Amino acid sequence: MDKLLAMNQITKSFYGVSVLKGVDFDLDYGEVHVLLGENGAGKSTLMKILCGAYTLDSGSISVAGRPVEPAGYDPRKAEDAGIVTVYQNFHLVPHFSVAENLSLTRFTRQRGLIHWKTVNEHAREALEKVGFAIDPRTKVRDLPVSQKQMLEIAIALSKNAKIIIMDEPTAALSRKETENLFKTISDIKSRQVGVIYISHKLEEVKQVGDRITVLRDGLKIATLENRDADMNRIITLMIGKEVSRTQRESAVDTTGDALEARGLQNESFPSPISFSVRKGEILGVTGLVGSGKTELARALFGIDRLSAGDLLLDGQLVRINSPKKAVNLGIGYLSEDRDTDGLCLNMGVKENVSLVFLAKLRSLFFNVTAEKHTVGDLISSIGLKIAGLSQQVKYLSGGNKQKVVFGKWLTARCRLLILDEPTMGIDVGARGDIYGLIRRFVEEKDRAVVFISSDVDEILEVSDRILVMVGGEVAAVLDSRTATKQEIMRYSTHVAQGVG
Amino acid sequence: MENSRLTGNELGKGGAAGFRGLFRNQAVSMLVILIVMWGVLGLLSPYFFTVDNLFEITLQTAVIAIIGAGMTFVILSGGIDLSVGSVFACAAVVGGMVFTGTHSLLLALFATAAAGAVFGLANGILITVLRIPPFIGTLGMMGVARGFALIFVNGVPIYGLESYKFIGQGKLFDVIPVPTLIVLVIFVIGVFVLRYTRFGRFTYAIGSNAEASRLSGIDVRLIQIGIYAICGFLAGLASTIEAGRLAIIQPAGGNGYELLAIGAVIIGGASTFGGEGNIVATLIGAIILATIRNGLNILGVNAFWQYVVNGMVIISAVAADQLRRRR
Repeated sequence: MDKLLAMNQITKSFYGVSVLKGVDFDLDYGEVHVLLGENGAGKSTLMKILCGAYTLDSGSISVAGRPVEPAGYDPRKAEDAGIVTVYQNFHLVPHFSVAENLSLTRFTRQRGLIHWKTVNEHAREALEKVGFAIDPRTKVRDLPVSQKQMLEIAIALSKNAKIIIMDEPTAALSRKETENLFKTISDIKSRQVGVIYISHKLEEVKQVGDRITVLRDGLKIATLENRDADMNRIITLMIGKEVSRTQRESAVDTTGDALEARGLQNESFPSPISFSVRKGEILGVTGLVGSGKTELARALFGIDRLSAGDLLLDGQLVRINSPKKAVNLGIGYLSEDRDTDGLCLNMGVKENVSLVFLAKLRSLFFNVTAEKHTVGDLISSIGLKIAGLSQQVKYLSGGNKQKVVFGKWLTARCRLLILDEPTMGIDVGARGDIYGLIRRFVEEKDRAVVFISSDVDEILEVSDRILVMVGGEVAAVLDSRTATKQEIMRYSTHVAQGVG
Repeated sequence: MENSRLTGNELGKGGAAGFRGLFRNQAVSMLVILIVMWGVLGLLSPYFFTVDNLFEITLQTAVIAIIGAGMTFVILSGGIDLSVGSVFACAAVVGGMVFTGTHSLLLALFATAAAGAVFGLANGILITVLRIPPFIGTLGMMGVARGFALIFVNGVPIYGLESYKFIGQGKLFDVIPVPTLIVLVIFVIGVFVLRYTRFGRFTYAIGSNAEASRLSGIDVRLIQIGIYAICGFLAGLASTIEAGRLAIIQPAGGNGYELLAIGAVIIGGASTFGGEGNIVATLIGAIILATIRNGLNILGVNAFWQYVVNGMVIISAVAADQLRRRR
């Protein structure tokens, strides 16, 4: 019998960089095939090709034995072929009811009007299929995350999906909800539907998967039967060889903490978390999607409120209840998404760089000439290449944009920088520059950096100590001189030392 | 991201070529259009370039320009104020009542400006504290202010404002009309505030990206409240000029001025999404609108056509701007 899905020798490159270098992947009827790999291994590119979002450069795809014509293959054709993705970020209409979302594109009509009785009837049937007991008239915005996911699956099945792609489906789910999801998945399997399951959580991969394929740097490394797979071996396959690293001259001052967090608690951190950042230190923070890294940054910067816990800055107890307060205390924040949270895109480089500095200023007026000099000096010191001080920021490359955001905080002379994924979407050359800026920042002894990243390689390369987060808790604090990638992966994927 | 980098280089080159860069600036092209309009009107009517008529245009410009100056701040910050026409009327009525009671012009002017500022302040509080979208909040205020203007005087205009005349019709040293002087002072201050003060810079920053501004430590709400208060204040101030010109205060006055003020700002090339634009361009926009009105009068076109032409000019200005941006 033919395989449900066969992808052969898929290649894809973007702007001359090859992202997939001849990958084979297949899926049986009623199988859960797990796709594993680090960020940038090529998982999402492969899946986007399958869904028709990207076109492949070479290779072939066939679904249920029938070859897919690559020319003109698009998301619509993929859906017709029965390939459906259940997204991490849901694409449901929140103000509509469950039933309305279920028939969004195909309302049953009678004489041109929507026939609500049939619509609701359809919804009830579709929900029953996945064993999802809920009133179809419930508004989607009132559903918890896990039920939204169930609804997505119900929608996928109601469209006669043969292949369902799940990308990090448990990132926002509790343990109980995860169990429910797994029940649904085994139900789907009995219907001869195939599931491609992408996750970093190795424990659940062991629990739910039939086969595991590991990708690394655009290559298929191995496909294993789940029951034969040893977890430590999987991790080794994912990360490849441990690279020997050149350690920076650590200049950590052991005399005091720049920041100490004692028992911080809020919605994202149900159990209290504590840690400290020493003066002159780069504290790396890593973890999977949903581990609470970004939420930690937001809490420290006063964007999200804390319900309990103390923050000590330079040994002094402080209350940070707004970004303004954080800025005035000398804290800086580079958010994950610099375009929406970091930059005024249609303003010039100069105006962006001086923004925080001006926000901290106490007088009504400011000296325009001094502003020009300060920004000019900064630009040459951080190696920013621009056409002029007033060049609009939106025309800069990702790396240069990030340097502008960095410059904003440097000009304001902040002492503690919180960086959330500072190298996301930035090319390799500019990455080196950003690392350089971070290291230079902590050369002055009273300063410190909290460096958040899901890229374990850069965490190991840049940080002095590493905080590993899992589900809103601190799973481990490691010394980067002795820590290995394997060790970090083991902590963050929630695998105890002895398992496997 | 790759995409934006490519267009970035392209546009960077275009901007470097000074001449094309100049025409990208809407204020410059609008100035050209204004001069062409004057030329055409001068040819069509010998009356156009008379001292009396030019004086008339500056008077007509003054009211819209002053309200437009406040509106510039609002639109730069990414907001909109639909209440200025009604606030204009209500502030004038409050001032007129103070004048009838005290016969002090100074007190009356102060009361007018203060009443305008209070309405603006209320707009700002609605928008920032109650988080009502500016369009809705100021639309509501448009009704409230108009209602109070009518209630305060029972719908009857206030007469006997001879002392007001100096503001609307007076001339300094017998040459410079007082309204023109007020306009110049306000625009000089406006340019200065936008260029050299934190408040001005933050106005642009909030319009460009409010969240990034907040995360940079700017007190976004406080700035926004200030912006709407200024807009209300200037609407009040503008009403004293009109009162002085007509020597009468009508509770139904200022009707449709919000459209003209917004039009002046938009014709000047400010982005309707905030963050881009300049206040001098608003002045040019106001002169264009006043010229259209004046020209249609001189040519004897039915006054009702003014609304149609004003509306069409505003739409074409934005359309031209959109086309240019797309290129």
